[in-house]
Amino acid sequence: MPRLVIDDLEIEVPKGTKVIDAAERLGIMIPRFCYHEALGAVGACRMCAVKFIEGPLKGVQMSCMIDAQDGMVVSTTDQEAVDFRKRVIEWLMINHPHDCPVCDEGGQCLLQDETVSSGHGRRRYPGRKRTYRNQYLGPFIAHEMNRCIHCYRCSRYYQEFSGYRDLGPLQIGNRVYFGRFKEGRLESPFSGNLVDICPTGVYTDIPARFKVRRWDLQRAPSVCINCPLGCNTIGNSHYRAVMRVEARMNPYVNGYFLCDEGRFGFSYTNGGADHAQRPWNSRISGADVTVEAALAESASKIAEISAIYGPGAVVALGSTRNSLETQSMLSRLCRRKGWQGPVWFNDPAIYRKVRSGVERLDSGIAVSMREIEFADFVIVAGADLLNEAPMAAMAIRQASRKNATIIVVDPRPISLPFEFRHIPAAPAQIERCLGSLVKGSISKDELKGFDSSAKGFCKALPAKFEEKESGISISELSGQLMSAKRPVIVCGTGIVCESTPAFAADCAQLLRESGKKAGLFYILPGASSFSSALLSGPETKTFSEILPQIEEGLIKALIATESDPFWDFPDRERLDRALSMLDLLVVIDYLPTETVKRATVFHPSSTVFEMNSTFVNQEGRVQHAERVHVGGVPIWGAHPPRIIRNFVPGGDHQPAWELLWKISAETSMLESVLTLGELIAAEIPVFEAVGHSKYPITEGRIIPENSEGSFVKPKASPAKGQTAKGFNLLLTDTIFASREPSAYADTLASVFPEATLFMHSGDANGAGLSEGDMVSVELELGAIQLKLSVSQRMARGFLFLPRQRGIHWQKMKEFSAWIAPERIRKI
Amino acid sequence: MAQIKSVLRDLLDDVLGLADSYAVTLKHLFRKPITEQYPEYKRLFAERTRGRIILTRDPHGEERCVACYLCSAVCPTDCISIEGAERKDGRRYPLWFRINFARCIYCGLCEEACPTLAIQLTPDFEFSKYGVLDFIYEKEDLLVDHQGKNAEYDYYRHAGVSVEGDKGEHINEKPPVDVKSNLP
Amino acid sequence: MWWTLGLVLLIIKLTIVISVLFGFAAYMVLVERKLLGRFQIRYGPNRVGPFGLLQPLADGLKLIIKEDFVPRSADRLVFLTAPAVVAAVPLVIAAVIPFAADFTIGGTRIPMVITDLNIGMLFVLALASLAVYGVALGGWASNSKYSLLGAIRGSAQLISYELSMGLSLVPVVMIAGSFSLVDIVNAQARLPFILVQPVSFIIFLISAMAESNRIPFDLPESENELIGGFHTEYSGMRFGLFFVGEYVSMIVLGALTTVFFLGGWRGPLLPSLFWFLFKTMLIPLFFIWTRATLPRLRYDQLMHLGWKFLLPVALINIVVTGGVMLLMGW
Repeated sequence: MPRLVIDDLEIEVPKGTKVIDAAERLGIMIPRFCYHEALGAVGACRMCAVKFIEGPLKGVQMSCMIDAQDGMVVSTTDQEAVDFRKRVIEWLMINHPHDCPVCDEGGQCLLQDETVSSGHGRRRYPGRKRTYRNQYLGPFIAHEMNRCIHCYRCSRYYQEFSGYRDLGPLQIGNRVYFGRFKEGRLESPFSGNLVDICPTGVYTDIPARFKVRRWDLQRAPSVCINCPLGCNTIGNSHYRAVMRVEARMNPYVNGYFLCDEGRFGFSYTNGGADHAQRPWNSRISGADVTVEAALAESASKIAEISAIYGPGAVVALGSTRNSLETQSMLSRLCRRKGWQGPVWFNDPAIYRKVRSGVERLDSGIAVSMREIEFADFVIVAGADLLNEAPMAAMAIRQASRKNATIIVVDPRPISLPFEFRHIPAAPAQIERCLGSLVKGSISKDELKGFDSSAKGFCKALPAKFEEKESGISISELSGQLMSAKRPVIVCGTGIVCESTPAFAADCAQLLRESGKKAGLFYILPGASSFSSALLSGPETKTFSEILPQIEEGLIKALIATESDPFWDFPDRERLDRALSMLDLLVVIDYLPTETVKRATVFHPSSTVFEMNSTFVNQEGRVQHAERVHVGGVPIWGAHPPRIIRNFVPGGDHQPAWELLWKISAETSMLESVLTLGELIAAEIPVFEAVGHSKYPITEGRIIPENSEGSFVKPKASPAKGQTAKGFNLLLTDTIFASREPSAYADTLASVFPEATLFMHSGDANGAGLSEGDMVSVELELGAIQLKLSVSQRMARGFLFLPRQRGIHWQKMKEFSAWIAPERIRKI
Repeated sequence: MAQIKSVLRDLLDDVLGLADSYAVTLKHLFRKPITEQYPEYKRLFAERTRGRIILTRDPHGEERCVACYLCSAVCPTDCISIEGAERKDGRRYPLWFRINFARCIYCGLCEEACPTLAIQLTPDFEFSKYGVLDFIYEKEDLLVDHQGKNAEYDYYRHAGVSVEGDKGEHINEKPPVDVKSNLP
Repeated sequence: MWWTLGLVLLIIKLTIVISVLFGFAAYMVLVERKLLGRFQIRYGPNRVGPFGLLQPLADGLKLIIKEDFVPRSADRLVFLTAPAVVAAVPLVIAAVIPFAADFTIGGTRIPMVITDLNIGMLFVLALASLAVYGVALGGWASNSKYSLLGAIRGSAQLISYELSMGLSLVPVVMIAGSFSLVDIVNAQARLPFILVQPVSFIIFLISAMAESNRIPFDLPESENELIGGFHTEYSGMRFGLFFVGEYVSMIVLGALTTVFFLGGWRGPLLPSLFWFLFKTMLIPLFFIWTRATLPRLRYDQLMHLGWKFLLPVALINIVVTGGVMLLMGW
């Protein structure tokens, strides 16, 4: 632990810490452009010069390049260092344009700050300024190359950190250009981070272009609720509109970065560019009413139906985008009022997968994204990371940069920004593949040390798994796994079999028993799947199981709380018919969903930016999102009216839990439960561990020390091969368009992937189809048209249909379908 | 004795001092007042006088304001609100620009902060109103058809962004780097 | 018959005196503003009517139609009566001031004074100290810290200067041998007392300035530190009454100075009433001149002047006057 003195302050830092970081720990911000903690040091910009007065080094040196050592005495304010930095700034500014007034970076620009603080004010160099032509880089990032100071942060981030190759430096010397070889949209779904990472205004974000300056923004720490990872964000709002979302550093979750879906998928909260897409007002049968009238209507109708048909005729629907507060309230109300529910999921299989997975997580086995970054062997089982949880792919990319072996066992044509071995096993084969991989890594000696259940499990694992098409030798990989110290199993819950999450947990457990620091990381289907699993019991139903009761007329009222069954229920017509049979459909939501359109009574609820809320991510980490702004119809985008009003237009929304409490007419609620913290703790006992009634709960993981799940003997895998000729159609997720809040953001609409059906090239050849063909697929209840994409790197006999907004795929009877070859036609 | 003398002298000094000041004021009584009778006689104010605020245009007749928000940031009374927008050619301009003259204290900081010389204070101060809402001036009320104090300045001739034409055509700029050529 | 005539005469005199005082007070404001303007090389009010002559009317009208605001925490009754005290006291003092030589109609001598009290001067002194009640009560009842500070200053100032004012008049009484103001005027038939008692005159003048809260002794008001002092919370005509009181008392003090030192209504050639008014107006004009000339005293300077200078000088003056009278055998 070297001890050194920086500006007369002494500090002890871990070995290997750079002097620039040691200074930052003391609160001394040494100016820097090229250095970034996540990207490391290259010493390119010469801005972090400090003077070393005593110790092993002397003189002006770059603080980002030098490890802290014992006995160093460093001065950041020495005249020599200050003059050096001042000259560096002046030299960087020689070609910097006179742009600050028209540059969106102004006000949050590192170059601006450093120039002002160094005292450089006038350009002494009389020569002409170098210029560049800009490129179109897609709908998110604006490019203004004249402002570049050549720190290389963008290319280091884009190529080294995020693993994409299409943006980088061109040319040499004074002519270095950062851009693409050809104009076009950036390929990376992490391109938004360029805005954060660029120290000046070369990359600025287009959704907030010219709209606001940093100092006018209302900012608050928030959490992204698009995928289960719960990346930390900063919400920025101005004129009642969320203007942009920035990454908030959290070393355990997202580090410094965000994916584009999380960064740009916020405009649903503004109602889109015209502010008209969000339902702002309470409605009864489609007509706008006051908040009080709607609440009274809901409360009286629910009470009426409960009185006539019994409380069991009322069903409460929740979803996996509810906040923890809302979920706890739903759970409490259902119990106290005798309503059915709460219902969290549509698909019973997914519900069971989520539940079985969450049950098996304990603090020993669950890993955070940071731990994934340090894994040396990663097995991704049944998860399409880039489409289901993009930042997890980024974490694995970091592991890959540290030479970890990455294996993806998934039937889909996976693409990831790093090198990996893809085993395109069919869903039913994933367990076999995983099992044989793990079994092969366990030596005879290790096996002897296991207890009987582990031993039994290990013995029951399939010995051999041959993957012919990819030509990957499992035994070779097993050998690598055997020598790995920190393996991580990433398990999806989408297309895998119901037993797979628990099986993956068993495998991770087994690896742990064999002395490795093994970890398990689930990819769950929504932002609060974890807490919905905690709040459900064995008798909790899914919507598919509730639907027959509606059709039989046993259920008369439905309370849909930020829940849209139309989103992923496969049979739209049946759902429509069933909902029309209801006496009452109360909808609480902030998105313009199909369910909202059919609501008898509609209550607008607050988005994550408009309320204090808590979310639990897929590893059980509790995170609090603060209210960014009050919310309402944004002023931005049109001339504000010259009217003095005593209310905020569109300001009627309330947190969903508050609305629920009001419509339940449960007055005793206040007496029995005093605070939100107590409400949550009363519903989820595990919260006692992170502070019983402490609210907001800002940190901590709510997973047990040791899970009680034990090894379940794997079932014999089903008979291989289908007898009937045909394809198994499975629904998958896709980035930008498949997750509920962000898919409603018009900022993302332009990048929605084209509706594409994925098919194995062998199968396609057999059917006479080829890449890029428009095909018509006849589902059970109708046909859909989409583009065909063929790949060799996927399982045969499968079709993958992205469940994305804009494709009307809801023409199936079940959550998957069997498609005979003749029902796919080229058009 | 000497003490009494000095006390008396002090007293005399004080009395004479008082008499002196009385004399000064009395003299003033017979001077011609220097007051200018305002509505009948209106004096010409210096260019730099800080009165009503205007938004000027550049020599090509385009709005000078680029909605950089510096005036609203520097305004001590927060009387300026703006919303920036982008024209089709990429030029930045204020979608709306609102000054609440009921709040404005005519300190001129906005004019000092303006990097494009768009916002300027004029010598006009005579715009009293009966309704406080009438003091809210919108862009149409503020925007004038001339260049104001610095007639020749055109910010977009100095900026690194180009609105029309190619890069490198602005003042003091080299032609753009051709990244696909190795010629120096 | 006689008492009816007396009553009618009294009412006529009262009406004349009160309206003259009010009229003078109102125009005194205009004169002051005009003069101050000229002292400061500007015009002063010149917009309302020719030369701004209607300005007092406009001001009065404005004050009357303004909202009569009473702070919620004020002591309502005292708050409402205090301005009346301030305005009424100088009017009462005016009752004993002889404003012209006796006037004879048809053999009946009509004294040109409302009532000639034989203890007139004591009456004047007693009432003059009553005026501060208006200030003190008004300041206290406002329930505002500025007002209270102003009120306290007013009381302290009055106590300090009342003393020297009274003592400065003792030689006058000694020489005149009477407390009656008519007798005092008559005693100046040969020489006005300003020549006999210049020291007394100066002390009286300074004290009178302090009594009427004029610059440089306007500490109870002091706009720039107490925001108006005792009348901070007042508005409308009640605020106006404080000023009526101030200006009437200026005129009354001028009249008293005339009576005590300037020989009252006596003067050559012109009618006695003219001489009286002329002499009376000199004093307020001097006050205005002073206002344009001198800055406000600091509080300690005020106290210093009152207690350590004026009071001893006044006492010495009495002793010297007594000694001289003894020697001269008056």
